[in-house]
Amino acid sequence: MCDTCGCQLHDHHHHDAKVVEVNRSLLEANQKQAQSNRGHIEQMGALAINLISSPGSGKTTLLERTIEALKDTVRIGVIEGDIETERDADRIRAKGVPAVQLTTGGACHLDAPMVHGGLHVLEHFAKGGGYDLIFIENVGNLVCPATFDLGEHRRVVLLSTPEGSDKPAKYPATFRSADLVLLTKTDLLPYFDFSVEEAVKEAQMLKPGLQILSLSATTGEGFEQWIEYLKNMLKK
Amino acid sequence: MHELSLAQSLLDQLIDLAKEHHAVRINRVSVTLGPFSGVVRDSFEFGFNALKQSLEIARGAELELETPDPVYLCLDCGKVSVIPFSLPSDRLELAMTSHYPKKCPWCCLNRLSPKGGTELILNQVEME
Repeated sequence: MCDTCGCQLHDHHHHDAKVVEVNRSLLEANQKQAQSNRGHIEQMGALAINLISSPGSGKTTLLERTIEALKDTVRIGVIEGDIETERDADRIRAKGVPAVQLTTGGACHLDAPMVHGGLHVLEHFAKGGGYDLIFIENVGNLVCPATFDLGEHRRVVLLSTPEGSDKPAKYPATFRSADLVLLTKTDLLPYFDFSVEEAVKEAQMLKPGLQILSLSATTGEGFEQWIEYLKNMLKK
Repeated sequence: MHELSLAQSLLDQLIDLAKEHHAVRINRVSVTLGPFSGVVRDSFEFGFNALKQSLEIARGAELELETPDPVYLCLDCGKVSVIPFSLPSDRLELAMTSHYPKKCPWCCLNRLSPKGGTELILNQVEME
């Protein structure tokens, strides 16, 4: 019996090695699912934003204030990604908006298949009502989420002032993949050695023309530009 | 640490390809990791070699990784240059000759913008 394939022939079965040209992305499976998610989101009548940042840079607080500003005119749904706990989803629900918590159980990023599951739950919560805008809050991490398209229409990367203005240069893949960068917690600028000029310069070096807005969710300073950005995005 | 999930998706692709081509063994796999793909070569290699052990068909697969040098566009003079990443072994020399930050070899300014380089491609598989 041939040891390699287990066939019953007396003569050794001849195994020809062959070379197959593949030339396909390693991310193919994720990309296909992301494309299908995008279609699913559009079918629901919505556009989606993937929010990426380090832990603690203010993604959930940004969402809370955004919901307060828009919830009377825009139907919002939120998918929350975290390694553990329902805390972020609870904070969003407290604002009266449907939220699905995805707990990755250790994974450092969301991927398109996880979001696919979340979209179905979100759809169920809408009870046929639909959405205009879906936020997908990624796991707090400035490295891994950059690689995975979730099916979003815009990718927004947050950088908070306590993190330091060197972060775009240190985490280029993430900032390069952004459609918009939000410099958050600007109310803390007097207390930290953060140069808005350096952060803007380095982020735009990675991606010339990258749009960058500064805001504080605490004082509301600069917040209207963000709301304007969202309204313009939804108009198109 | 997302290298492990990427290594897993590579193995999933390999299993499908082996089925499609009625192969019983994968000998060699060639993959390109773009310089700005955000994937660490060593971690990806480690992940692949650890995960392949649980798959009869891929256990003997040798991973060949191509990591092209990064290409930059100078935002000052508009020229495109290939500027390799420095290796840990170069660090002492770098510290002494101050080649950092990277500079455009044409105009010596340092507003270098990365060009392309985000690809993660399964190029070729040898199987039998």
